[in-house]
Amino acid sequence: MIASRRYRRVLLALAVGLVVSFLVAVAVGAVWISPWATLRLLAWKLGLGSRPAGVPRSTEVILFQLRLPRVVLAAIVGAALAASGTVFQGLFRNPLADPAIIGVSSGAALGAIAVIVFAGSGVLGAFGVPLAAFVGALLTAFVVYRLARIGPAVHVATLLLAGIAVAAIISSLMSLLMSFSGQQIRDIYAWLLGGLSGQGWNQVGAVGALVAVAIAAAGLTSHELNLMALGEERAAQLGVEIDRLKRRSIAIGALLAACAVSVAGVIGFVGLMTPHLLRMVVGADHRRLLPAVLLGGPTLLILADLLARTVLAPQELPVGVVTALLGGPFFLFLLRREGRGARASA
Amino acid sequence: MLLENVSAGYGATPALRHVGLRVEAGEVVGLVGPNGSGKTTLVRVVSRALRPSAGTVLVAGSDPYRSSAREAARRVAVVPQDLAPAFSFTVLEMVLMGRTPYLSPWGGGGPEDWAHAREAMVATSIQHLGDRPVDELSGGERRRVVLAQALAQDAPVLLLDEPTTHLDVRHVLDLLEIVRGLAARRGVAVLAVLHDLNLAAAASDRLVVLHLGEVVAEGRPEDVVTKGLLRDVYGVDAEVAPDEVSGRPAVRLRMPAEPALPIGRRAHVVGGAGRGAPLIRRLAEAGFEVSAGVLHATDTDALVAERLNLLRVCVPPFSAIDDASAAECRGLMAAADLLVVCDAPYGPGNLGNLRLALEAARSGIRTVLIEQVPIAERDFTGGDATSLWDGLRAIAEVARSYDEVTVDLG
Repeated sequence: MIASRRYRRVLLALAVGLVVSFLVAVAVGAVWISPWATLRLLAWKLGLGSRPAGVPRSTEVILFQLRLPRVVLAAIVGAALAASGTVFQGLFRNPLADPAIIGVSSGAALGAIAVIVFAGSGVLGAFGVPLAAFVGALLTAFVVYRLARIGPAVHVATLLLAGIAVAAIISSLMSLLMSFSGQQIRDIYAWLLGGLSGQGWNQVGAVGALVAVAIAAAGLTSHELNLMALGEERAAQLGVEIDRLKRRSIAIGALLAACAVSVAGVIGFVGLMTPHLLRMVVGADHRRLLPAVLLGGPTLLILADLLARTVLAPQELPVGVVTALLGGPFFLFLLRREGRGARASA
Repeated sequence: MLLENVSAGYGATPALRHVGLRVEAGEVVGLVGPNGSGKTTLVRVVSRALRPSAGTVLVAGSDPYRSSAREAARRVAVVPQDLAPAFSFTVLEMVLMGRTPYLSPWGGGGPEDWAHAREAMVATSIQHLGDRPVDELSGGERRRVVLAQALAQDAPVLLLDEPTTHLDVRHVLDLLEIVRGLAARRGVAVLAVLHDLNLAAAASDRLVVLHLGEVVAEGRPEDVVTKGLLRDVYGVDAEVAPDEVSGRPAVRLRMPAEPALPIGRRAHVVGGAGRGAPLIRRLAEAGFEVSAGVLHATDTDALVAERLNLLRVCVPPFSAIDDASAAECRGLMAAADLLVVCDAPYGPGNLGNLRLALEAARSGIRTVLIEQVPIAERDFTGGDATSLWDGLRAIAEVARSYDEVTVDLG
């Protein structure tokens, strides 16, 4: 790995950005909680001093029961989506790939909608919908992978095509379910548009652990993902077991996306945009890109969620709408700029 | 590197059949053969990308299909034609990728890997490009990056798959020089697929010729590159002579010879209004001695006949055919092996041509009528031309286009 001074500076800036956005997101809401109070309360909870005087009990409850789990979950989901996008972009050698492309997001959505329609969103406590989404995502990834597999080899082109076809089938199934749904249509929409409200420490723990494992695995494949950029045959010539790499990266990318979707619904553009943007800053080497997106993705989603719950407060916007509204035009702008740059340098 | 009795392919018909091939350490072997002869298949077999259906492959003493991709990549390095990475890596990153078979999944590479990468960059003279993104390099520079990546693998066997395609001549020589140096100094066994026979003959210690999936010739370039091989394998006519300086065989290609010319065949064209010109040209090109007439002096057909310096009979513009001209033309027609009558418009001025043609056709000269336009539309004599044409039609061959005439002649 080439850890230049510039790269370390970029990482530092991203880390500072993450901490600042974290503190701001925790502070802003119906009740203002100053970052100073937050830091002192955190220190107290971690056993680094006594309970700060002058902080009301209600502030403590809001911080620990509402704000913190939500912001931490936003960070975890942001990291998972960004890492998933990074893995898929590397695997597909395409900077426009993201979890939606191989149908993972649709699979998750179908699982969630099926549970909402047939059992109601309250089934199994709060865990029914996330669990179904998780299973749906992994099942879809598995089906798409098996479809794309011809003989021993999985071709990236067939994988993309299988993903697109399966996603199309799934979305028509979703429409079918929704036309039967009646009362639950609001729940379904809320889920489809993505959101981080109403989640607690339980979800943070479960999802956080899985995401951490998947990210560690992504880290171990990042060098081989670099070689994928040269084409499958060249990567194999340089010593990569190409089919093993494909199996692993699909599993990792799908797991990360499933984790994110299961707790936060369908949130677009974070997985697409974060790696794409940061690749322009730190270069294409996945060993440098991955740490950067793990800082950038959470920042992006924390800020998007902050906007979602403050712009029309007390009304809350779905966070997926915010990421799409901000991310879409920005992404188009980048595409145009990049296109001009490519022409100029050609 | 050793292949024994190897067969391989993608479908029912194998692309390689019972191929045996050996490359010793320090040797540069050129692999040549026409398109589709199995060269690339052979490279894929050796580089562990295509398992052979029969036979033995040994690379540095072991079977790549019984080793991991990693182990195989330490034994054989491939230089592909070109690389266009999906993302923009720097030159140094690209070269370091060559160290993949030596890296642990979490390791970034130790001092030894850096040393090998640097050495490979020096050998290919790209050490000054380290921080440049590969997609900003020129074609020649990028090709050297690809070579450096393969060199960084530090493998005892090096395969080159048409490494010089699209390179200008200077870069071709540089690249082959680097490769020959590696073989000589480090004892690398080199197998290079090369399209250019002269280049292959000049750069290789030994040549192997593949044809239809089989090895058809093998040995020193001067023994392999011969007139006979070029004829039998490539189907071309060429001169092969030793180069004055190097003594290596040099190939001089000839354009395919013209088909044998019909000698002494004569054709007479009855044209007019430019209708005969295309045919006059074709017949002349096909080797006929062409004559034309009777023509009016300013007609396109007359100009073409004049330009081609053909025998021709002309009368002044707008005048009818006089007896002297008719007699002259009758002589030309009688001497011809083939008479072609074009679908010119016929009026009082050239009606005589049809009479002459009918006369000649009746005397037994092979006659072809061109009839792209029906006679009714080009009869300006009130029916005389039509009756003469129908008379010709009864005994002559009819062609719908100029092409038909030429095919008939072929």
